[in-house]
Amino acid sequence: MASLESVLGLVDDFVDCAGIDERTGLCLTLVVEELFTNLVRHNRGGGDAVEVELTRDGDQVRLGLVDFDVDPFDPSTVAAVPVDAGIRDRTPGGLGLHLVRSMVDRFEVHYDRPSRRMRVEASRALGRR
Amino acid sequence: MFDIQRHADGTVSLHGRFDASQVERAGEVFDQVTGSAVVDFGELRYISSAGLGLLFAAQRRLVDRGHSLTLVNLSPHLHEVFHIAGFDHVFRIG
Repeated sequence: MASLESVLGLVDDFVDCAGIDERTGLCLTLVVEELFTNLVRHNRGGGDAVEVELTRDGDQVRLGLVDFDVDPFDPSTVAAVPVDAGIRDRTPGGLGLHLVRSMVDRFEVHYDRPSRRMRVEASRALGRR
Repeated sequence: MFDIQRHADGTVSLHGRFDASQVERAGEVFDQVTGSAVVDFGELRYISSAGLGLLFAAQRRLVDRGHSLTLVNLSPHLHEVFHIAGFDHVFRIG
């Protein structure tokens, strides 16, 4: 997964340049990896390009990932993860999206039907506990 | 940078960043674990759902045979990730 390495390298550079604290940086890396690998996994027939944007606005870190020529994705259709269940009563499925939702303050998916363009947005406050 | 080592006493140690691109490599090591073992996270900074899924599969296979993995030396960040995932109900975390 060579492109994942490139994307995570981009996150590393952003964390360094934007003065992001270590904990927020690790959470940001996790969120970007989960969203990026999800887009790649579910991008059937779409192009190879995924656009990644990272910005710091005061104490907020915002990220946006854009995928092109894809089918719509509704995150509300993903089953909740039974986090209180023991190992025999669960599978690891859905964990990526569950981690993302837990680690950001805002998570939105926008889909433009005419262009078949999907934009995933998230933000997290620096220093969040 | 990621590294995984299996030591003579059976302990598996993880180092660096365990992202989705490292699952195949880590899987080759965990496939060799056939009994209860300690997994040392002392040098691991990061894990994503891909790595968690691999650990889950290894734990499931071992539990079905009466064994288990014990995870030690997790950083506060990794403790948080395992707690969010509910994996504190799946693994013994020391």
